[in-house]
Amino acid sequence: MAELIIAGVGGQGSIRASHILAIAAIQDGLRARVGETFGAAMRGGAVASHVRIGEEVYAPLVQADGAEVVLALEPLEGLRNAVKFLGKGGLLLTNTRTWMPVDVNIGRASYPDMRAIEGEVEKLGGKIIKIDATSLAQQAGNVRTMNVVMLGALAGTGRLPLSAETLKQVVRENVPPKTVDANLRAFELGFKAVQER
Amino acid sequence: MKLEDVIVEDVPGKRVLLMGNEAIARGAIEAGVDVAAAYPGTPASEILETLALAAPKLGFHAEWSTNEKVAFEVAAGAALTGVRALAAFKNAGLNWVMDMFMTLVYGGVRGGFVIAVGDDPDAHYSSNEQDTRFVAFYGEIPCLEPADQQEAKDMTRYAFELSERLELPVFVRSVTRICHASGDIELGKIEKPKRRPVFDKHYGMPWRWDVYGPPGPVEKHRWLHGRMPLAKKIVEKLPWNKLELRGKPKFGVIASGIAASYTREAVRALKLENEVAFLKIGTPTPLPEKLVTKLLKAVRSVLVVEEGEPLVELQVQALAKDVNPRVKIVGKRTGALPPVGEINTDIVASSLARFVGKRIPKDRARELLKAKAKPLVAPRSSTLCAGCPHLGTYWALKQALRKIGGNVPIVNGDIGCYEQGGYGIAGKEIKPSFSSESVSYPIEAPYETLDTNYIMGGGIGLMQGQFHAGYKDGRVVAVAGDSTFFHACIPAVINAVYNKVKGLFLVFDNSWTAMTGHQPNPGTGMTATGEEAKTLRIEDIARACGVESIKIVDPFDLEATTAAIEEALRGDKFAIVISRRVCTLQAQREKQFVGKRMIFDRDKCVGCKICVSFGCPGIVFKDGKAGLDPIICNGCGMCAQVCSTGAIRVGE
Ligand SMILES: Cc1ncc(C[n+]2csc(CCOP(=O)(O)OP(=O)(O)O)c2C)c(N)n1
Repeated sequence: MAELIIAGVGGQGSIRASHILAIAAIQDGLRARVGETFGAAMRGGAVASHVRIGEEVYAPLVQADGAEVVLALEPLEGLRNAVKFLGKGGLLLTNTRTWMPVDVNIGRASYPDMRAIEGEVEKLGGKIIKIDATSLAQQAGNVRTMNVVMLGALAGTGRLPLSAETLKQVVRENVPPKTVDANLRAFELGFKAVQER
Repeated sequence: MKLEDVIVEDVPGKRVLLMGNEAIARGAIEAGVDVAAAYPGTPASEILETLALAAPKLGFHAEWSTNEKVAFEVAAGAALTGVRALAAFKNAGLNWVMDMFMTLVYGGVRGGFVIAVGDDPDAHYSSNEQDTRFVAFYGEIPCLEPADQQEAKDMTRYAFELSERLELPVFVRSVTRICHASGDIELGKIEKPKRRPVFDKHYGMPWRWDVYGPPGPVEKHRWLHGRMPLAKKIVEKLPWNKLELRGKPKFGVIASGIAASYTREAVRALKLENEVAFLKIGTPTPLPEKLVTKLLKAVRSVLVVEEGEPLVELQVQALAKDVNPRVKIVGKRTGALPPVGEINTDIVASSLARFVGKRIPKDRARELLKAKAKPLVAPRSSTLCAGCPHLGTYWALKQALRKIGGNVPIVNGDIGCYEQGGYGIAGKEIKPSFSSESVSYPIEAPYETLDTNYIMGGGIGLMQGQFHAGYKDGRVVAVAGDSTFFHACIPAVINAVYNKVKGLFLVFDNSWTAMTGHQPNPGTGMTATGEEAKTLRIEDIARACGVESIKIVDPFDLEATTAAIEEALRGDKFAIVISRRVCTLQAQREKQFVGKRMIFDRDKCVGCKICVSFGCPGIVFKDGKAGLDPIICNGCGMCAQVCSTGAIRVGE
């Protein structure tokens, strides 16, 4: 059984990433549920996609403290979901690039700094890995492949019950045809970034 | 493999990942649906989006209708001719349908008619938490309620058959966590469509399709009533109603729809498999009364778990009075489960533990740590997209209202992306006032502009009441989007002209039904299946409705838009200003819009925050100065018009 949450901001591709994981799981003979929280087509809202993979899954939502990994495409969204869902011994794997909430911009809230985020996750018994996935995506040739950089990084942690090969194949089949090469580069860059730490 | 291929793939037994809405569409496709009509609404929109992908390939009709009432009637009309039809919409859409629905059931249908509704407990995407199952109960027709995506597909497929057997429409009621969740499902065989439409006005009953024709509405109501025994008999045998009763347990759990999935996991987590009898319900109405009776007679107390209002619980309680009055029944009605919001595995687990008297150990230290971490988690209020034309329209409205002065204008909101004009800022604390006078509040961000907002088409009506009440403390304004205009505003516009209203109706026309995922509407020039269509112009309709003052502006031109709104506000008429520009996301997708290169000169920024109050998420503010986030910015150039010092400029 694998339980994880892909968190981010609308438009970053967290839903697509969660579907790629679930499809890969099904191809590897497992069952999967993805509970998506997204509404409007507009960008900028907090989005979280719950992914549950295993032999016997029914509900689409991860339980409190039930996530083994929170994969965060944006740090604040990582913290938001880690506090609620990350279990002891779990991993917050986060992009370091921030997306400022309007609340912060107009001065009604402040954005937590990275060290504070790390501190909280550690206090809750979790581990944290940070990567600059946005820059790696730019390096891969398309900033919109950031979600796939993060998937590569996730595969690099070895915490998935699936093979990186299946996952890569599913990436290939589920991104726009013109972006396949950039996405595969993105996957590798993410994978390496975690493995070479 | 692309969805448009998966959805028509005739490979029974293949396992694929489908979202609940896609699964419902697939169920209809497997059943050989002939006509499908819908109006977009989260969480149900993807049902028709998916059907529209398949329609040209399989040769059936799929359409986006102007609103839900029309969609329902289109589908019903098809079903009267004996073909299979589906109507789909969100919870609120059903309210638009009620008039036709409550009467259509008196004569029923000839071809299978499935009404797929997406409810939204927790109001993630809705203005209320209404429970469609009550409408099924009220209208005396069956309601199927899936527990997962597989059931969503299988039930939809079966619903056509059930509808034909009962000669009544049938509901498939899903909730957000079915519709907008995905699961692995096994595909079934696709029935080829092409039923031949036939018509017989006295089919099985005199004046079958004319409620006034003799024997008239009361006798037809009697006929409807008479269908129930057969429906009850059928549901008893359905695979989705299942009792698991082993040994002699004291406790029973009844769980309907998605609640059964949460409950199953909660039972497993608490290791109660051998201590509770489990009745899974797939038809909350009519209930499988024999199965329920069997459970009620076997146990001492029953917990009813369901998503929405306590419909199953009330029926179970009524039944218990007859078959075992000693059994205790608990659920939402008794406080065993929360009466509002949605449920989940955690909520069910703690309710279940209390129910059987089992303690779940609590980690107090961890709870404390979490509570301490909470303040660090800054809120993220939702915003319009970077470069959204609505940002320009809101900015212009704010400037125009400021220019004409006038103390407390009332800006009546409506439903669409622009409804965010009333979402407020989560991080801002608001103290309610109890003043007996009109009160004015500053607008720090476009998200604080709207003063009222309820449902589609509501604003333009409310505004007229404010006018006729004689409100004089400020102007009365209503806003609406293009899809909302076609859906719900036209009778109200006619009413405004007819009853001599004065005020401003501001239309945010971005050519798409954007908020629900960019569906085309009568103003887009395209049908659901991508065929070219006549483009209806809001100004032409308004003119035909008798509106004399109509202006069309481009919201990217802030000055001109402000001027037009100001003029309309100063005028003594019912005026419509149409602020027209294609949704930026959609324009980018269709390559109609290429962003400009924006230049930010930090030295020139004085930190006045005017650009921040423009409300674009591409504008950030840090260490006393503004800035543009190059990844978020779409290069619309509006902020350069707002900047007072020339710090933001459009590059060459
Ligand atoms: C009765 C009803 N049907 C459907 C919806 C779902 N819904 C929310 S916003 C919206 C339409 C928005 O389109 P438009 O008015 O053009 O505004 P835009 O989002 O494009 O700015 C719809 C259909 C609803 N809230 N109520």
